[in-house]
Amino acid sequence: MPNWAITVWRRKQSSSSPVDAPAGPFALVASDRGVRKLYAVDAAATALGLYPGQKAPDAMALVPELVSAEADPVGDLAALDALVDWCVRFSPAVAADPSDGLFLDITGVAHLWGGEAAMLDDLLARLAAAGIAARGAVAGSAGASSALARTGPDRSVVENGEEAAAVATLPVTALRLEPGAAAQLARLGLARIGQLAALPRDQLARRFGPATLTRLDQALGRGEEALTFRRPATPWFDRLAFAEPISAPEDLARVSRDIAEALCRRLETEGRGAGRFELCFHRLDGRGERLAIGLSLPGRRADAIARLFAPMLETVDPGFGIDAVTLAADRVEVLDQRQAQLDSLGEVELEEGVAPLVDRLTNRLGEERVWRAEAYPSHIPERAVARRPPLTVRSGADWRVDRPRPVRLFRRPEPIDATAPIPDDPPVQFRWRGQLRRVRRAEGPERLAEEWWRRPPGETEPGHVRDYYRVEDETGARYWIFRAGLYSAGVPAKWWLHGLFG
Amino acid sequence: MSSRQTRLASLRAEIAALETLSQPVGEVLPFGDARVDGRLPGGGLALGRWHEFAGEGLELETAAAGAAFAARLAAPLTGRGALVWVLRRDDLHAPGLAGLGFPADRLIQVCARDEAEALAVLEDALRTPGVAAVFGEVEAVSLTAGRRLQLACESGSATGFILRRRPFGGRDRGDGTGSAAATRWSIASAPSQPATDEPGLGPPRWRVSLERCRGGRTGGWLMEAWEDDDAPHSLRVVAELGDHRLAPEAEFKLAG
Repeated sequence: MPNWAITVWRRKQSSSSPVDAPAGPFALVASDRGVRKLYAVDAAATALGLYPGQKAPDAMALVPELVSAEADPVGDLAALDALVDWCVRFSPAVAADPSDGLFLDITGVAHLWGGEAAMLDDLLARLAAAGIAARGAVAGSAGASSALARTGPDRSVVENGEEAAAVATLPVTALRLEPGAAAQLARLGLARIGQLAALPRDQLARRFGPATLTRLDQALGRGEEALTFRRPATPWFDRLAFAEPISAPEDLARVSRDIAEALCRRLETEGRGAGRFELCFHRLDGRGERLAIGLSLPGRRADAIARLFAPMLETVDPGFGIDAVTLAADRVEVLDQRQAQLDSLGEVELEEGVAPLVDRLTNRLGEERVWRAEAYPSHIPERAVARRPPLTVRSGADWRVDRPRPVRLFRRPEPIDATAPIPDDPPVQFRWRGQLRRVRRAEGPERLAEEWWRRPPGETEPGHVRDYYRVEDETGARYWIFRAGLYSAGVPAKWWLHGLFG
Repeated sequence: MSSRQTRLASLRAEIAALETLSQPVGEVLPFGDARVDGRLPGGGLALGRWHEFAGEGLELETAAAGAAFAARLAAPLTGRGALVWVLRRDDLHAPGLAGLGFPADRLIQVCARDEAEALAVLEDALRTPGVAAVFGEVEAVSLTAGRRLQLACESGSATGFILRRRPFGGRDRGDGTGSAAATRWSIASAPSQPATDEPGLGPPRWRVSLERCRGGRTGGWLMEAWEDDDAPHSLRVVAELGDHRLAPEAEFKLAG
């Protein structure tokens, strides 16, 4: 997007005041190490010979009628971020290319628009309608598409493998080089990417730095580039666009079912299922209303997925209307290779009964409220249990049943007033929740020391031990109590109640 | 037989039919002891129904004895399908359940935010095919909620074990006499007795009283945990209690 900073500024102006944008030459100015310099210039100013990086007083002297405003690089980045969010309607994998570009990974989604060129046209037309001047290109590598979009013919679509030919005539400045390397190339008269590509690689790396070589490879489609995508690229993505915006709740329910059916049909034909679905309603004003559901077992039943989304639809604010809906599937895996998690359950019961139950509960109550306990190798009672999502494959860790453990364990041990006449003996009576309980029988102690490896060195001390006793009172109720620390004369021992046996 | 007696007999039959909700008792889970099974219709704990377990005093807040008893009672069902435990306070300790022979790592635990949600989750779980046993900790089950649970049991194949538990510091909301449960049990811990005069604790014991039983008779027993591979579950009857309210006194004197 050429002149992104100015586009953003204009959009801000037009939304805050209806006054027309200045018609004459316009520039944004920023301070660079105490020097006022032009940060961005519009087309009129460019025509008058102004360029970004020019000193502001010089520019004012050359073009006295220049209108200027303070640049806001942070705001520009934020606006780019917002645009990234908006572009999710085209592909879930969108990455910002600061300071003025966007990458869309359209692997596997272009067919929804009827081809790459049609998709690019649609994207640019929508941007233009929003008042954003943009150029675009489709290529097999991020580097090539970036170079083509910035300096090549507008809306060029390059087939895979033809990147080198397509970028050969482009200027080297399109390569996103470091300033030093770019200046050196200019001094040597290397203006075109094709000239650079013809040079021996080892010399190139030595003279212009390895970064230059990397950039060149990326543009030629020879090197990989790691982009920070908002979401990973997925071919498991579908989209429905509407001629007329929709907003009625029953319409939302209907389109969520339709799009789920479309995506699930594709999953079905490839024998796959997904564990997570993200539905996004794209509003006319560019905002996206997102909903996500998770499945405990990867699935592809459109009606079940639509049913999980149904209760969330009422939270969707359609604004002035919704013109597109997208559905992306995540955690896609081959269904046939799944192992049966619950050995006593038949496949049918699991898929028809328990898995949908877990999904309903997880999506209604939240993931942290539905779990399965698993043994965790720690002797500290409160750490001996790990929570896992239900229906996950069991790790095979066994519970240690050689030591009795209570059925109820309090998250925080409760302090008790205990009378223990003999040190290192269980108490003869204690008071818990206002009631005095006489200990009739007791077992113990089981000494549990703290996990010294979990503390910073030097902070461990022998006092951090707990002596656990299993005691039974006159009514037969059984308690798990412990004394904190070792016995030392003169210091009253601190007793706690940690759990109850049934 | 006089006409009065005939009428009485027919009325009794009618009441019995009403009490069993006009369905024959299907599969049962026997205790393996005629003293208990003889009082339950069909000779055991009816499956595909829901059963209520309550305690008294602090036990009504902690539901520890009830949880241990229900877990032991349901152990034979655990191989039949999924297990769900619906909680309001997540203080259920899986290693403790595992120690009772309960497959704690297969148990799906659900922590509900309030009473209504707990009942809704219970209903949903009971209705689900493939679920063998559903445990629930709720404050009280009203008549309507009880009927809903019963209908859910009938459309699924699960057996419900409902533990009455009130929030800490909360007040008892009555005993829910109009319950739709198939049976209602009162569980209290009882002093254990080691085999000989060994130090330490004996196997845990419970004072179990069947307070309400559709189509059966009430009763009271002293039960003990009992590890025996041949028994249907790890509970055995130590003694039948004539009046379960007087029994603990006698038991305590015996224990000295």
